[in-house]
Amino acid sequence: MEISRHPELLDRIAAAYALGTLRGRARRRFESMARQSATVRAAALLWQERLAALTELQPGETPDPNVWKRIENVIAAQRPQTAAPARAPASPALPWWRGAALAGALATIAAVAVGIDLNARNRQLATQLAGQPVIEYVAVLSDERSSASMLVTFDPRRNTLTLKRVGGFQEAADKSLQLWALPASGGPRSLGVLDGGPVVKLAAQENDMKQAPALAITLEPRGGVTGGPTGPVLFKGAVIQAPV
Amino acid sequence: MNTPAQDNTLVALLDRIAARHEPGASHLQSEAALRELYDLTSSRLFGLALRVVGNREWAEDVLQEAYLNIWRIAGDYRLTLSPPMAWMGVIVRSRALDFLRRRHSDRADVRVELDEALSDTIAGDGANPMDTSAASEQAWALHECLRKLEARQREVVSLAYLRDLSHSELAEQLKLPLGTVKSWIRRGLDQLRGCMARFA
Repeated sequence: MEISRHPELLDRIAAAYALGTLRGRARRRFESMARQSATVRAAALLWQERLAALTELQPGETPDPNVWKRIENVIAAQRPQTAAPARAPASPALPWWRGAALAGALATIAAVAVGIDLNARNRQLATQLAGQPVIEYVAVLSDERSSASMLVTFDPRRNTLTLKRVGGFQEAADKSLQLWALPASGGPRSLGVLDGGPVVKLAAQENDMKQAPALAITLEPRGGVTGGPTGPVLFKGAVIQAPV
Repeated sequence: MNTPAQDNTLVALLDRIAARHEPGASHLQSEAALRELYDLTSSRLFGLALRVVGNREWAEDVLQEAYLNIWRIAGDYRLTLSPPMAWMGVIVRSRALDFLRRRHSDRADVRVELDEALSDTIAGDGANPMDTSAASEQAWALHECLRKLEARQREVVSLAYLRDLSHSELAEQLKLPLGTVKSWIRRGLDQLRGCMARFA
């Protein structure tokens, strides 16, 4: 039957097609008729448009502010590297590492006084590590959602920093993660560039750790950068001196 | 209702988001435009995501994916003739449906959680309140026509579309006989067709 000659029937089937309740063989037949007849196609498109308006009629609800932060992190990581002005902080008041170093210093104090309020998994990891006497410094670097993403331990006997990826983050092939010490005064100092593996070891001196209340990881062009960080901060956290 | 001026604001923001691909354009300005777009539209779109997936945490994941999608394909908006909110709404709906499909293939117990949200609306005959405050003219027409349906007909028609459910899936999720669902949908759609024809 030529349904384009039966407007009432065509309208009914097109509405069911757009709603999604026309299924199976009937749907496939309608689709092939639409491909052949502009009249059928127009009826289907009209109903798709009409029903799409349903998406506009749902009551609004405020999402958690973290949703925007997650979106922002992703799009900031896509900034072209040539765009040097991108480094200018959005608020000129305080460079980001200042705040982080300060927060780190405060966290260290809090850690001594009352223990650290990390989530259960982090706490367990930190306890396990703190139980091993050779490790004197521990940091859990988190992203905005406070899900642990990088566990950093320092072994003073071997002068080795070990970084272990805890979350599922994986940088793109043309990017590298770079670890920074955030001293209480002065700008961030690079501690090294991470390769893509799940566990990374970097050489470091104890002084690097002693003088840095906090660490941060930024996303940089592949191979890392010299001088200061240029990319967005993905993870940061306070350095905790583990009780010996 | 969205005025043409409000729509123009959204369209201009989508243009600014897409502009970052042009030579000499600023990525930061596109980021700022996305932020503005998010401030203007996120509560509406989050409400939609929530209605499709039925759980705040999932809806947040969907919302994030949807805005990243909008960020990527903002340049395609000009190819459509749809009102900007409807274009974004369709993106949110399809991200939400993808999300549910992924969950369904992972776990079989998702449906239980969906059921609760669903049966609340159906059982109470509580019309899910519709909101036309940011709706296009077309959405306003649809709203006027939906308002004339019985609450439960309106609800099954809305759910069929928003969650892309078949008659039998609706019957299963709403714990209603298949025949009942079919007749509600059919009568709902017939009335809707009669009413929308007057707005065409």
